[in-house]
Amino acid sequence: MDQLNYKEQQEFQKIVEQKQMNDFMRLYTNLVDRCFNDCVNDFTSDKLTSREETCLNRCAEKFLKHSERVGSQFQEQNQKLMDQMRGSK
Amino acid sequence: MSFFGLGGAAPQVSTEQKLKGAEAELDMITTMFNQLVDSCHRKCFDKNYSEGSLTKNESLCVDRCVSKYFDANVQVGNSMQSVGQSGTLGRGLK
Repeated sequence: MDQLNYKEQQEFQKIVEQKQMNDFMRLYTNLVDRCFNDCVNDFTSDKLTSREETCLNRCAEKFLKHSERVGSQFQEQNQKLMDQMRGSK
Repeated sequence: MSFFGLGGAAPQVSTEQKLKGAEAELDMITTMFNQLVDSCHRKCFDKNYSEGSLTKNESLCVDRCVSKYFDANVQVGNSMQSVGQSGTLGRGLK
């Protein structure tokens, strides 16, 4: 990938910010879908039961923590890969 | 990138091309990351959420999952390269 000069970097930063917003919305909608599917299966009422609410909270928290952990591992693995690639040149 | 000894100006890559290239690379990494999160969640977690924090086993599984995913990425990439080159003479450069 060619290096971006300063002006190009600034322009790219705007693109990155837009993507981050889209990604956040995607995360949110996927998370709702996931936790709803895993936790909400009782339709004897139109209100969430307290069991379902607890489940939803745990589900969301767990997934977000998982995502965070993957993020830090990703960085670590990526760094390892870069180091390996540089080492083999 | 310039071609030494051939004279003439180096071909200029336009700003637009550079940005498109950078964007494509970012998209690829983002896609990989999102797939990684989903895959490892599917493989390491079950659906009875007894608590909100990660258990030791889940954390261990996730770490190993990410590491293997990266290795798998390299393996598959290499396979694609060799399949792509199997129609040509000689081996590919490694």
